[in-house]
Amino acid sequence: MLTLVCIWSILCISLNLIFGYTGQLSLAHSALLGVGAYSFGLATAKLGFPFWPAFIFTIVISGLFGFLIGIPALRLKGDYFVLVSLGFAVIIGLIVLSWVELTGGANGLSGIPRPTPIAFPWGGKLRFDSPLPMYYFVLLFLVLIAGISYRLVNSLLGKTFIAISYDENLTESLGVNTMSRRLLSFTVSAVFAGVAGALYASYNLVISPDIAHFIRGIDVLVYLIVGGTATTAGPIVGTLVMVAIPEVLQIVPALKTLINGLILVLFIIFLPTGIVGGFNTIPSKFLGLLRRLGIEGHGIA
Amino acid sequence: MALLEVSNLNKIFGGLTAVNALDFHIEPGELLSMIGPNGAGKTTLFNLLTGFYKPTSGTITFNDIDITGCKPYQVTRHGIGRTFQLTSIFKESTVLENVMIGKSLHAAVGVLGSVLRTPATRREEKRIREKAREILSFVSLGDKENRIAGGLTEEAQKRLSISMALATEPKLLLLDEPTGGVNLEEISGLIELVGKIRKSGTSICLIEHKMRMVMSISDRIVVLNYGKKIAEGTPKEVANNAEVIRAYLGARYAA
Repeated sequence: MLTLVCIWSILCISLNLIFGYTGQLSLAHSALLGVGAYSFGLATAKLGFPFWPAFIFTIVISGLFGFLIGIPALRLKGDYFVLVSLGFAVIIGLIVLSWVELTGGANGLSGIPRPTPIAFPWGGKLRFDSPLPMYYFVLLFLVLIAGISYRLVNSLLGKTFIAISYDENLTESLGVNTMSRRLLSFTVSAVFAGVAGALYASYNLVISPDIAHFIRGIDVLVYLIVGGTATTAGPIVGTLVMVAIPEVLQIVPALKTLINGLILVLFIIFLPTGIVGGFNTIPSKFLGLLRRLGIEGHGIA
Repeated sequence: MALLEVSNLNKIFGGLTAVNALDFHIEPGELLSMIGPNGAGKTTLFNLLTGFYKPTSGTITFNDIDITGCKPYQVTRHGIGRTFQLTSIFKESTVLENVMIGKSLHAAVGVLGSVLRTPATRREEKRIREKAREILSFVSLGDKENRIAGGLTEEAQKRLSISMALATEPKLLLLDEPTGGVNLEEISGLIELVGKIRKSGTSICLIEHKMRMVMSISDRIVVLNYGKKIAEGTPKEVANNAEVIRAYLGARYAA
């Protein structure tokens, strides 16, 4: 369970980079995840690649895919980009379902391996067959991706991403090639999503077209908004909370979407900055309230 | 040789001719003001010069290079900086970060370098930060570098937006109403800043409605009305032009 939270968190960090920081709302993340999962699955199960070469292969394919669909899609701005990204999500979802020779269609793809066992220097091997080592393996990647993302958005390059999300025309007028920066952000985001896909495939051992269903892209968006867009911890907190709620409440799957929607609406109305963003603003709001009370107190005195 | 040469520039939106067969030029080191009633096409002209709009026809030559049809970021890199009519700054960022973004086009930073924080990238970021500080002290915002830009006064925000455009190291700076929305008492400081920029060797093209300011600081004035140039010349010539008085200045200027 926690392993899956880590994987969705990586996907959520990926979405945070392009949406939270660069301001481009992508609904294509199910497709990017699916491309990652299927690249990894095909490389290992069909082409017989060992784990790590397949992993590198997945990173290359995901990045390339993000770059290639980014070129036409990112020419469009705002709502048009959102629609086109959704279109890509639906198309990829259909391809993995219908191209039976390649993807196995609705039967999915099986025979995907766990990470190659790592030999300890003192003898013996770290194997990933049991859940706990696999969990730590995925957690390691979560920390790595979160670290990369943190460093990127706090660099000068990342500042220009954030600048685009605030005001693209102004950023462009300052000599920044905003199209290429958005494409760069989308490509890096696609690589992160591809890593999430490869980890999912390796963890689950089988993949089915479910993985690339466009609803997943929207689910992750809900996680991100609940956790807090453009914050470091937001994607992880949001994913943890949103995956935990239905588990804790023992909600039937059919109601899950309804509850997700309800939570999303509540957050957008009352806490649009999300849980983590809220932590950053609530103290100042609280102080403001205290100050107001203080002033009233003086008035009475 | 003129720094900027605009010839037979046209921009048609649907049935509306916003800029009509416009010819003008700007000399190196010159301060040229664009005046004219609202809707005369001044801001449209700025958007054409900076690549935000594509001209319907005509050519824009800057520094002997044809920049017609260039993208906005390319125009900036050729050496034309601009500010926007509605003060455009990154309100959520600090003052220093705003200027650093303006300076970022001169930085060589890549994804790997940024993630790994290589010495080269760190040096580059430090260099940009120092440059940004220099510009902030030039526009007298040096003491406010850590303030959130949105919390500054309107006058300071105007200064900041000008400093961001300056950070791109323009040869020609287009200022779209740099004193719009600023208190009368604070305007003199902004006029001083415009003079200082000009003294540093940057040519300026100014859109302004405050006639006293325009008349006192401009070398030449171009008057637009309905997208057409109706007059051009020194402040004195323009102030005495009958058509300008009728279209824009009003009778009290006829002296």
